[in-house]
Amino acid sequence: MLLNSVIIVLREFLEAALMISVLLALGDGVPTGRRWAGWSICIGLAGGVVYAGNIAMVSDWLDGVGQEVVNALMQIMIYCCLTLTVVLFSNRRARTGGRMVFLMMTSVSLAIMREGSEILIYLSSFTDNPELFEPILLGGMVGAGIGVSVGVLAYYGLLSANRNGSSYASIGAAILIAAGIAGQATLLLIQADWLPSRAPLWDSSGWISEHSVTGQLLYALIGYEATPSSIQAAVYLASLILPVILIVLVKKSSNLDE
Amino acid sequence: MRVFQQPDRLTPPLALFLFLVLLATPAAAKPPVFELEIRNHLFEPSEISIPANRKIKLMVYNRDPTPEEFESYELNREKVIMGNRKAVIFIGPLKAGKYPFFGEFNPKTAQGTIIAR
Repeated sequence: MLLNSVIIVLREFLEAALMISVLLALGDGVPTGRRWAGWSICIGLAGGVVYAGNIAMVSDWLDGVGQEVVNALMQIMIYCCLTLTVVLFSNRRARTGGRMVFLMMTSVSLAIMREGSEILIYLSSFTDNPELFEPILLGGMVGAGIGVSVGVLAYYGLLSANRNGSSYASIGAAILIAAGIAGQATLLLIQADWLPSRAPLWDSSGWISEHSVTGQLLYALIGYEATPSSIQAAVYLASLILPVILIVLVKKSSNLDE
Repeated sequence: MRVFQQPDRLTPPLALFLFLVLLATPAAAKPPVFELEIRNHLFEPSEISIPANRKIKLMVYNRDPTPEEFESYELNREKVIMGNRKAVIFIGPLKAGKYPFFGEFNPKTAQGTIIAR
């Protein structure tokens, strides 16, 4: 039970912690300060409490697929915010911290709201059972600790390169995280039967299983799936390319202005 | 602001495209429904046979007062089901084979398999 709680909480923390680290690293180059991250965490947690409290109602929406659709919408919003963040960041003249802070706060708040609500729902299933609740809580704290540590490592890792290097690494990491989130949204819409379901395009579970630590880490980092369908893979690829195209277009148009 | 013109110009066609994709999703024949219960952190039945190469609708009834998360890496599915609630999960079309699933909150006991044939 203990180990299971470590893994569940770690998985949710890892996704949020990596996103915050990458955005903090991006923000450092502007600079935007770091206070926005603390506020986003608070807003996200408050949202998570409200979302967890109403998840039963949300699940019943839209003929029983409300949970998938609402989660997918949040993921799509996060994807859009992350994409615009890297576009703003890479255009030096438009590096106005204010807009970036707004976009980063929205991404992190939504991510924490979704992941926080899952942890709260998980913990709530053991509140009536004090014998189990204590080890579960302990395991959860261990998982949270590991997740935060990985995030801190990622942050200093990104900043360890020279200024240009860490900018490119942070942009790249943000785009990878964003595409993974877009892929997850696609999967949720397939599960809800809003997007057509197809046979998997490939099966790499023999190579990197989603059960394994590597698989879990890759899932948090780039949205790894061992058996993605063609739609999912196409959305993932398009989501990777779109921010790059936008960055190039915006840079070109700002060069023309000069 | 010059910077915002590019994304703005792209957004309406993109939204239209997504809307058309949703419209184009074929309203196929209603998928057959299969039922599954969660009781005392166990799946009942723990094995479900479904037709291969056909989309199905899985109804999961959580008879426990506590929440559970239906999860399967093989099926690429993940859904929270609150206590005393039901959930709809669309699955497949699957190639013939065995697809394990589990309850993420109680993985030791809540185990099951979907068999597509």
